[in-house]
Amino acid sequence: MRFALLAALALLVGCGRDNDSDIIVLRVANWSGAGDDSEFERTIQDIYEEFERRHPGVDIRVEGIPDGYVSKVILSFVAGTEPDVMLLDASSAAVFIDNGVLADLMPFIENDTAFALGDFFENVVDIARRGNALFAIPNDFTPMVMYYNKRLFDKADVPYPKPGWTFQDFRATARALTIPGEQYGFSFANWMPGWIMWLWNNDGDVIDSSFPRASGILDSAENVSALEFLHDVIKVDKSAPSLGEVASMGVDLFANGQAAMTVSGHWALIGYTNAPKGSDGKPAITWDDLGVIEMPSQTGSSVTVMYESGYAIGKNSKNKELAWEFIKYFTSYEVQSKYNKSGIAVCARKDVAQERASDPLEAMFLPIIPSARPPHGASVEGYEIVEKVGKNALDSILNNDIPVRVALEKAAKRIDQEFAKR
Amino acid sequence: MHRGEEQRQGWLFVSPAVIHLAVFALIPIGYALYLSLFKWQLLRESQEFIGLQNYAMSLAESPFWNAMWNSGRYAIVSVPAGMIVALAVAILVNQKLRGITVFRTLFYIPAIASGVAISMLWIYVYLPETGMINTILGSFGVQSIDFLNRAEWAMWALVFMSIWTGLGPRMVLFLAGLLSIPQPLYEAAELDGASRWRCFVSITLPMLAPTTLFVLITSTISALQIFTPVYMMTKGQPEDTTDVIGYHIYSEAWVNFNIGLASAKSFLLLIVIAAISLLQFRLMKKPMEDFSTG
Repeated sequence: MRFALLAALALLVGCGRDNDSDIIVLRVANWSGAGDDSEFERTIQDIYEEFERRHPGVDIRVEGIPDGYVSKVILSFVAGTEPDVMLLDASSAAVFIDNGVLADLMPFIENDTAFALGDFFENVVDIARRGNALFAIPNDFTPMVMYYNKRLFDKADVPYPKPGWTFQDFRATARALTIPGEQYGFSFANWMPGWIMWLWNNDGDVIDSSFPRASGILDSAENVSALEFLHDVIKVDKSAPSLGEVASMGVDLFANGQAAMTVSGHWALIGYTNAPKGSDGKPAITWDDLGVIEMPSQTGSSVTVMYESGYAIGKNSKNKELAWEFIKYFTSYEVQSKYNKSGIAVCARKDVAQERASDPLEAMFLPIIPSARPPHGASVEGYEIVEKVGKNALDSILNNDIPVRVALEKAAKRIDQEFAKR
Repeated sequence: MHRGEEQRQGWLFVSPAVIHLAVFALIPIGYALYLSLFKWQLLRESQEFIGLQNYAMSLAESPFWNAMWNSGRYAIVSVPAGMIVALAVAILVNQKLRGITVFRTLFYIPAIASGVAISMLWIYVYLPETGMINTILGSFGVQSIDFLNRAEWAMWALVFMSIWTGLGPRMVLFLAGLLSIPQPLYEAAELDGASRWRCFVSITLPMLAPTTLFVLITSTISALQIFTPVYMMTKGQPEDTTDVIGYHIYSEAWVNFNIGLASAKSFLLLIVIAAISLLQFRLMKKPMEDFSTG
């Protein structure tokens, strides 16, 4: 009976398996670290085990690569030892998709009535789309949003921000919220994936993705004024602590209830729910204190960036059918409604995301989703260098008072040089 | 014994070392030389032969020179500082005291610890506010410094740490050098009324010349190849001020995936290291000859 089942399965999935073993190993790569005994970790284990129960003879082998994920997976493709299924990070998707190492999932989708692409947010699905081909099914994602602390707004008697706000509104709000010695209006970290939206919302951009080039784009007048704006908020108004002050304080000021606004992704909520306790013994920030609003914009329609992960199949995997079954299972309503409880991101399935939105804070994310753009790394190979050079440019602007135009021109030249090498 | 037999046996004896060297050094080096002639991108189907362009490109770009400069200033400061400290410690532990071997062992411990573990430890030492150094500085009322994230501090933080991590092997070498100096030289000098300082300058230092040369060359080479602390502690940041050549080559290959270019840069580093070693040999030849003929 057991053999019959296995034989049927082998036929069904049409895959090769080791002759001397009855077990089909499905290798799944992601960037998870060593597991702990948390509830979330147990949920994930249950999810894998349930798949193994439904597919007897299948062994899910999760290969967690928390450090150097992209280079290690690329090397495994070069060596021909790649996993069957890989979690694809939108920020570095281009190198995998555009070098043709992933399988087109459209044939699986078209032949599978139990799977509907329409269940997922369209702009999130599009991250891994190239023409008619699709290379990953989204797992979860987060738009970058502006968080605000209502308690600190009330304390400074400032009205909460409203959608449609501009840079000037933001600046005035941040200034009004700043009470020297007590609270800052804003908390800013120099991490380019967390500030590229400021450029977009001033009608600027970073590179021309069809022909990777930064000169004339990164150093545009729009970007100069956007970064001068951030510089002024931090250095002139002192509505946010300087980078040096942030580093030497060594704490997340927003989570600590000392800054009224900050920009981050959905993952930040995990930190905010375990916020440090203040001197009065109460948490420095609570769920009820939190508000979420779109990024301020000068263009009339706010945009933001989203960071996403999706599941892809190696082009040369011998277990493609089984890999597809796994992806379908993992992105199903059943699994995602359990998986998404971790709260680290927004579910890419509209039904689960809607369900989670019964929480008012989660609901504040929904209107922002349609305006979220994929990161450039989803379409431009080697985009990491832009983020590194961009960070250095803003460091030199904020730490050493290098004029914005000079810093951006230098950065653009450097980026062009880097792209020319490829 | 037959001559051919003898030769065969000789080859047999050296074969483990030769095979190891060939498989893990010579063949990879040869392959890297081959790679350096291509615009080599992992995952691409075909690689474009571009001759010496990778070398020309390396020499023309500022990040490469920035990395060379960073390695240079790291070596120029950390090597002499590390050697002076190691010599001082070697002299200290060269005294005939009971339990001195305990100290010798203690000073050697960093050398046998893993570079990654040491780097983790020093991340805590340099932490703002709560780190060891900032706690000490704080008790004197000095404002907390984020050593590893400030462009003006990060490199010197790495240099300071290297004095400690490099102490063990250097100290042992200097100690061996000190122990090999014939005692009668000091006795004769003492009879002539030489001061301790005079003995140090006229006997210890010249007698230590071969040891010093050896320590200088090995320290310089390892300073130019420093990687682990940079990878663990700063990733070449802030503002590329700790982007030393070893880390620069690594990130060219495994962050930017320009394998050919990274290979070319490795060979440029090889040339620089060979040239510096040769120069050091030349410079030290004179004092060593003076001593042996004197």
